[in-house]
Amino acid sequence: MSGAAGFFEDLFRGLLQGTPPGAVYALIALGFVLTYKTSGVFNLAFGAQAYISAAMYFKTHTLWGWPKWAALVVSAFVLAPLIGLVLERLIFRHLRTASAVSKLVVAIGLSVALPELFNQAARFTAVAGRQISGIMPDGAGVFYDPFGVYRFNRDELAMMAVALIATLLLAALFRFTMIGLAMRAVVESPRMTGLSGINADRVSAVAWALSSTFAGLAGVLIAPRFNSLISTEFFMLVVIAVAAAAVGKLVSLPRALLGGLGLGWFIAVFNTFLPRWSGDHTWLRPFQENLTPSLPFVVLFAVLVLWRAIGREREASDPLSGVDPPPPALAALERHPKLTLFTRLFGVGFIAVVGSVVWFRAGVLWMHLVTTAVIMSVIYLSVTVITGMAGQISLCQGTFAAIGGFTIFQMADRFNLSVLAAALLGAGVAAAVGAVLSLPVLRLGGVWLAIATLAFAFFFDAVMVKFSWVGGGTTALLTGTRVPRPLVGPVDFASDRAFLVLAVVVLVIVSIVVIQLREGTVGRTLTALRGSEVAAASIGISAARARIVAFAMSAAIAGLGGALLSMHQQNVNYSTNFGPVNALFWLVIVVALGARTVEGAIQAGAAFALFEPLILKGDLLAWILRGEDHLPGLFPMSGSWRLVLFGLMAIQFARHPEGLVEHGKRRASARINQWLEAER
Amino acid sequence: MTALLDASGVSVAFSGILALDDVSVSVQAGERVGLIGPNGAGKTTLFNCLLGILRPDSGRVTLNGVDVGGWPVHRRARAGMGRTFQRVELFSDTTVREHLLIAERVRNGTGAFWKDLVGLGRPRPEEVAASEEVLELLGIAELAAKPVESLSLGQSRLVEVGRALMTGPQILLLDEPSSGLDRDETQALAATLRAVQDSKGYAVLLVEHDVSLVADFTERAYVLDSGALIAGGATGDVLADPAVRRAYLGSFEVS
Repeated sequence: MSGAAGFFEDLFRGLLQGTPPGAVYALIALGFVLTYKTSGVFNLAFGAQAYISAAMYFKTHTLWGWPKWAALVVSAFVLAPLIGLVLERLIFRHLRTASAVSKLVVAIGLSVALPELFNQAARFTAVAGRQISGIMPDGAGVFYDPFGVYRFNRDELAMMAVALIATLLLAALFRFTMIGLAMRAVVESPRMTGLSGINADRVSAVAWALSSTFAGLAGVLIAPRFNSLISTEFFMLVVIAVAAAAVGKLVSLPRALLGGLGLGWFIAVFNTFLPRWSGDHTWLRPFQENLTPSLPFVVLFAVLVLWRAIGREREASDPLSGVDPPPPALAALERHPKLTLFTRLFGVGFIAVVGSVVWFRAGVLWMHLVTTAVIMSVIYLSVTVITGMAGQISLCQGTFAAIGGFTIFQMADRFNLSVLAAALLGAGVAAAVGAVLSLPVLRLGGVWLAIATLAFAFFFDAVMVKFSWVGGGTTALLTGTRVPRPLVGPVDFASDRAFLVLAVVVLVIVSIVVIQLREGTVGRTLTALRGSEVAAASIGISAARARIVAFAMSAAIAGLGGALLSMHQQNVNYSTNFGPVNALFWLVIVVALGARTVEGAIQAGAAFALFEPLILKGDLLAWILRGEDHLPGLFPMSGSWRLVLFGLMAIQFARHPEGLVEHGKRRASARINQWLEAER
Repeated sequence: MTALLDASGVSVAFSGILALDDVSVSVQAGERVGLIGPNGAGKTTLFNCLLGILRPDSGRVTLNGVDVGGWPVHRRARAGMGRTFQRVELFSDTTVREHLLIAERVRNGTGAFWKDLVGLGRPRPEEVAASEEVLELLGIAELAAKPVESLSLGQSRLVEVGRALMTGPQILLLDEPSSGLDRDETQALAATLRAVQDSKGYAVLLVEHDVSLVADFTERAYVLDSGALIAGGATGDVLADPAVRRAYLGSFEVS
């Protein structure tokens, strides 16, 4: 066979092969754009919605033995739109005037909470090794070969057909119906639409039901390609959808469609050709092995960084946006001196009691848990800096922490460097990576910055970790990424008690640094930027510079925390500790409890480590009730309830950006203030 | 004598439509200048070109004779251009005093990061005193500890002015300060602005819709219509110019 003819045949095969998944990507991208256009929500929970439909389909068809059509109808055409309607009615309808960033945080909270909520409510667990089957009878076994180069099976044909029909129906809806016209109007200005007598609520409800159906369909269609039903796979699906939608700048439906198909093609063609090139060029091999799963993230990152015009659009282009009421004022920050004194005394007393109980009474397990809580508090202070102070959402804090851990591992493994010095070096490397990462995405800001960091986290996860100079390569597979505990002079931190002291010392130092920054020039500059970027520029603040500092600082803290965690576990444990989805939960828990303050971060760290053993297992309640045993029937509860709880708490971010617990504290202190004033 | 702020031959086109056509304006040190025109005349476009939010397609903008064409917004602000906003832009979640302190710190803060770490970043007594002085001058000293969300529109405008003053501007660009205010409030604002300007001596460029405020407050005025400068000179003469009245009031006769 001649080279050129072979090349074109392979190319054609790649394109055909890429079309069915591309069609599903297009489907979910269309749904994504539809929600974004009609309600301004950057719905990262789309993956969770797709997961729920796929899991429902699996449960009804595979486990209960329903016929395929019934399972499809229930999961994609009943449950999916229902979820969309509920989300719209209960949450997003009330957030129409909230900023895009707070809506994004709400969606992230949902993406953490929804899959677990479904799993618990439906008592669903993924069955290892049992794949979900496609929607066609004998779908994976019957093949058609229209062109003589690639054999489509029935399921793949169904994917393409469903995507095509859905797209045509959507186009017809927009073109020929009143509700379609109304939807296009709502995109421009919900308030103006309301003024001209259209019920904007109804329009947005329809849009949510429709787009959620798309998500559900895509979930059911794509599920057979995954080895088992895990919600994280579906979260990646939504990142792919964002990449496809970004091609159309998130507003163009036809371009989102093309973006989805194009991604499918690109990945398939890449898969076909890269193995051949890397035969000739060995240095390509790690990329070849790892780049394919991360291609969507690379595309997404490239689109964000290279497309100059993206992110420039003004967030509020609604001509009537000026009539919105200003956001509600936060509860008073000023406290009565007596109250401050009292809370400080209480805090010191509480820490003293807990500290001495842990010190004298705790066994190995509790020592471990408390140390974890302290270390997670350090990591969460990095979220305090970037989200609480700078008002930016970073979804790659796990990556920064992992860089800290891997630095220690590499330094100890190769150069026998002192572990504490390596930890500081790790923080430095993380800061450098953070600063370099922030350079190309600086001009983005807001939602786009969050998405770029997410793409980076997935890229690191898929490609960088596999390099031997990062994750240890094959030796790490055999021996693990082992990290020693530090040994300073006579003090051997291999003892758990000594290490806890070290962790507390680091936490105190980092807390002081964060407080100093917040009260100082850096903090005030960031407060200004968070409040109003144009106004900050008008008094001479350079947003770029301030953001680089914030990013580098936040990355350094995360790197230091990650290094500590690796020392504590004596292993980096990348995928259990630092994966991209873990970092999502970090953001959620900090935002839920209080992103603005150091106490908030410490509460979040404690909640992360102690909520499950204390509350969910029922230990605390049993201790309070002095019962013989945990309450039977209710306890122990599944650990995934914490995902549900904190995920749902994060929804409150839109209304209380200072965090729910912090909000409660401020309200309570305002009341006590009044009472103290009245006493006088 | 070089003008403090000078724009010459500025042209801007938005996708083929000429928003500004070869416009030249200049402001001398300490002078009060108005820029008026009907809706869509290009006032905001010119304003944005002066401040660096928009890059003109052609033309030069100089500050004290230095070409600032390539400078970003924040650098021009540091060089002495303060501004206020038509739609109020305050830093949410701060108090009035904190607002002014932020601005003061930007002006004289260097080596911020390391100073913060050793605790030198907190407000210094002389900074607080400077902010008190400006609040006093604007007559809003009693609002110092209030969160900005609780202020009325007129008070918010004054806070914006105060914030701009803290940066020690040579020229203050006011973007439609009367919008959203009633006549009494506008007059009160004008009186405050004049008093403050008298004592501080900076130049003012007032972009305004409300002709009476321009007539009251400015010495000189430019008139824009459909992207072109149709008049410029002493405010009284300009407002009496028949071409200006036509542009402003449309074709019906004024008796």
